[in-house]
Amino acid sequence: MMSQIQSNIPQRQSLQGNQACALGAIAAGCRLFAGYPITPSSEIAERMSKELPRVDGVFVQMEDEIASMAAVLGASMGGVKSMTATSGPGFSLKQEHIGYGIQAEVPCVVINVMRGGPSTGMPTRPAQGDVMQSRWGTHGDHPAIVLTPSSVQEIYTQTITAFNFSEIYRIPVVVLYDEAIGHLVDTVDLPNPESIKINNRKWADGPAEDYEPYAPDADGIPPMPLPGDGYRTHTTGLTHLESGFPTQVPEEVTRVTSRLLNKIELHRDAIEQYELSCCDDADILVVAFGITARASERAVNNARAGGIKAGLLRLVTLWPFPERILQQLVERASHVLVPEMNAGQLILEVERLCPDSTPVSGVNKFDGDPIHPDEILAKIEELADE
Amino acid sequence: MSEMAAPLTPAQKSTDQFEIRDYLRLDLFPHFLCPGCGHGIALRALLWAIHDLDIEKDQLAVVSGIGCSGRLSAYIDANTFHTTHGRPLAFATGLKLARPDLHVIVITGDGDCLAIGGNHLIHAARRNLDITCIMLNNEVYGMTGGQVSPTTSLDRFTTTTPLGNQEPGFDACALATGAGATFVGREVTLQTTALKILMQEGIVHRGFSFVEVISDCTEIYGRKNDLGSSPEMVLSQKRSVLPKFDGSAVDKPFRAGNWDTGVLLRKERPEYYEAYRAHCHRVLGDGKSK
Amino acid sequence: MNSTAGTSAVRPAVMAAPTNVLIVGVGGQGVIMVSKILARLSQLQGLQVKQSEVHGMAKRGGSVFSHIRFGNEVWSPTIPMGEADVVLGLEWAEGLRWLRYLKPGVGTFISDTKRIVPPFSCRDRQHDARHGYANHSVAEIVNQVPSAFAPDATGMATQLGNERVANTILLGILSTVMDFPVESWREVLPEFVPPKTVETNLKAFEAGREWTTKPHAPDLNETSVVQHAMPTSRREVNLEITEAWCKSCDICVKMCPERCLALDDHQIVELVKPEACTGCRVCEWLCPDFAIAVHVSSVPIVANQAGVSTEVSA
Repeated sequence: MMSQIQSNIPQRQSLQGNQACALGAIAAGCRLFAGYPITPSSEIAERMSKELPRVDGVFVQMEDEIASMAAVLGASMGGVKSMTATSGPGFSLKQEHIGYGIQAEVPCVVINVMRGGPSTGMPTRPAQGDVMQSRWGTHGDHPAIVLTPSSVQEIYTQTITAFNFSEIYRIPVVVLYDEAIGHLVDTVDLPNPESIKINNRKWADGPAEDYEPYAPDADGIPPMPLPGDGYRTHTTGLTHLESGFPTQVPEEVTRVTSRLLNKIELHRDAIEQYELSCCDDADILVVAFGITARASERAVNNARAGGIKAGLLRLVTLWPFPERILQQLVERASHVLVPEMNAGQLILEVERLCPDSTPVSGVNKFDGDPIHPDEILAKIEELADE
Repeated sequence: MSEMAAPLTPAQKSTDQFEIRDYLRLDLFPHFLCPGCGHGIALRALLWAIHDLDIEKDQLAVVSGIGCSGRLSAYIDANTFHTTHGRPLAFATGLKLARPDLHVIVITGDGDCLAIGGNHLIHAARRNLDITCIMLNNEVYGMTGGQVSPTTSLDRFTTTTPLGNQEPGFDACALATGAGATFVGREVTLQTTALKILMQEGIVHRGFSFVEVISDCTEIYGRKNDLGSSPEMVLSQKRSVLPKFDGSAVDKPFRAGNWDTGVLLRKERPEYYEAYRAHCHRVLGDGKSK
Repeated sequence: MNSTAGTSAVRPAVMAAPTNVLIVGVGGQGVIMVSKILARLSQLQGLQVKQSEVHGMAKRGGSVFSHIRFGNEVWSPTIPMGEADVVLGLEWAEGLRWLRYLKPGVGTFISDTKRIVPPFSCRDRQHDARHGYANHSVAEIVNQVPSAFAPDATGMATQLGNERVANTILLGILSTVMDFPVESWREVLPEFVPPKTVETNLKAFEAGREWTTKPHAPDLNETSVVQHAMPTSRREVNLEITEAWCKSCDICVKMCPERCLALDDHQIVELVKPEACTGCRVCEWLCPDFAIAVHVSSVPIVANQAGVSTEVSA
């Protein structure tokens, strides 16, 4: 079914970022999309409404952002891969349900196409202001996986990866990119469907009698019960035991919440994705993601042309933050530069991980325009002169 | 995706065989509800209806929100989902669209359904997906200690209306009717058998069905308002009901404590999932889908 | 009059006293119809007729009776006690109730053995409750009254395809003890029954007449009556109370229609009057804590040799 659909689509296409996202979701096996119109993410919903009926899936435009997230969770708890897409204001509204998905360990994907903020902000202008919200948006201690593609091609592949991670680790995965890439039209090579690696969640398949829905396997991840398979489990947003039923006993809460927090830590190596460019001998290390990483790459190349030993660590996985590679790179680098389209969010995490001896500077912009390579280059040159 | 569940027919199994314990998670008992809470009576009626309809527990999904009503799902031996405040209908919408083979029943309360979840109620009613919404109306936020709710009667005392409530309440059934629900009914817990039959008809109904259950909060609301002991409160329901048998719509001014009961509305409109799927097949043709 | 006079065409020339027929039954059985037929027949014979009746309970299954008096001269419309020539009962207990109106030693008693037990004769609200319904066996009655006919008219009527023609079967029996020409009965009957049922009613009339020509052992009747009216099993009710679940809300105690529950010293519900419990399940339905389960089982009643259940006669 899926391969037939995919084979109808030319392998090389001119696609908008948001449309690539929709096609990636379909390729990953997403069969339900629940959403609410919001600029600049609406094209994802529009494309999903067109594609899903063709693969026997369901598109539903819900009454609000909160309901969209709820419907996505409901569908996934029913065993169907599901997704929603939104932007800042909607992302804020979805936070409670993202927390529910984390607590109840419901796989799903949330696309956040970032726009200027706070509040209604600048709906049609790009920004990267949701770095910390994507990590800490919902209340309470919780793990998070956030992926940040920087090209239309990568939106396609990272949407698939987001589904895979969500299925493997049973967690809502956020794909975070900005309006500029979302609305960018680029040439995309769609891989042969057979070559796409698809992961599906582990289903419970043992006897139902003593089954505990949140008893983890050795990998820290519990297999998921499929309604109708005879397990008849209880799912709740309350802190719950392995049995699925609530607890407030301190030792038990510590045990189950620690497992929840550690399940992503345990698999850090498999989740952390990044790209290095000219880093082997870099004195000035640029750390960036998304559209800003594209500008940074140009700046690094220009700096190299001018004889400055600059390098780029491009984060694809934003959270969990790829800590070890950064720490390795700063052993050699004398300066770290963090350009980002906000007043300084990612830089906080970079500073935390760098030794006091390594100065960390930022290039910050929140006026609705992407950061130009020359602005980053100017800062690199300034640091090189020090 | 799965096939839509086959239509149910009323009373497939004899009531004599109903053992409520077959439908309970016994490890969790006694349940957490206060003495005399009407929600327990409503839960029995629901499980009784499910039994008589011969719904397989494996094919039953019960979705609840937050509050006293929200906790009920945990006690049912089925696929149960205790979701977030006000949103069980939204969760249930996703679940039913993904798994039309399941029988999806939502248990919600007056605050959960009409205040924080009011938006989801009207849109679920409009959409007409085959979900049964059981709203337990006890006129108060019990779980949080007895605050005023959208159905609290005039002049009643709550912890946030210490001088008496002056906000008019919702007629939930009229609201659901206005929003396009295709099955609307109301019953009191005192009339357990009538309540069970009403729930049964709601579940059998193909489309969105809304059942309001007039339930008693004896410990908090009853005490605060001198409404009497638990037996007195449940018995007083007798004086407040106006049974209706003609299935006509709610058509006259609503007064809390003066409830039309029975099936208030029943009409036919295409069930949303079936309509969506059929329409997609019609437009796309068999070649492009499946 | 006696049971062999039915075919006599001799018209009673002078009657010193009127002939008294008391027709009794419960609502809906046709007491009035039978009375009208008898009155019409008398008129056709040129006799004076007086009929008085009590009815109006027809829809509720209540007691209905009708006095028919006919002769050359009839003054009083009602039959004094002990003066009835015939008591015709369409229902067994009603027949027995009016038996004392029969002329001692000479009167004829005709009654269906059909028993219709009214709910208000039950001693309690138990299922298959003991009741105050007449407990005389058919044999007892038939042996007391020299001229008595006790057919299972309802059973015979059912075999004819219409339970409602039981009254016409009894009318057929009545015709064998009255001095009216049998042809007159056959002519009058169709005037008073619904047109569609004329054929069945005529068959029933003949069936009644035929019944009188055959011997009927009282035992046979009795057996059929017992089988018809006596329960073969009774409901046994057990209340299973889960004390750990009871929260002392008192709803069951106050709502029990038999007041057979109470809260004990620990404020936990207990069944204090098990004999009063009818198994109505109100406590089970209204318990918010599922602490009461009503178990109802069917226990066979051991019958003695005569077929009379030990339960009912107790």
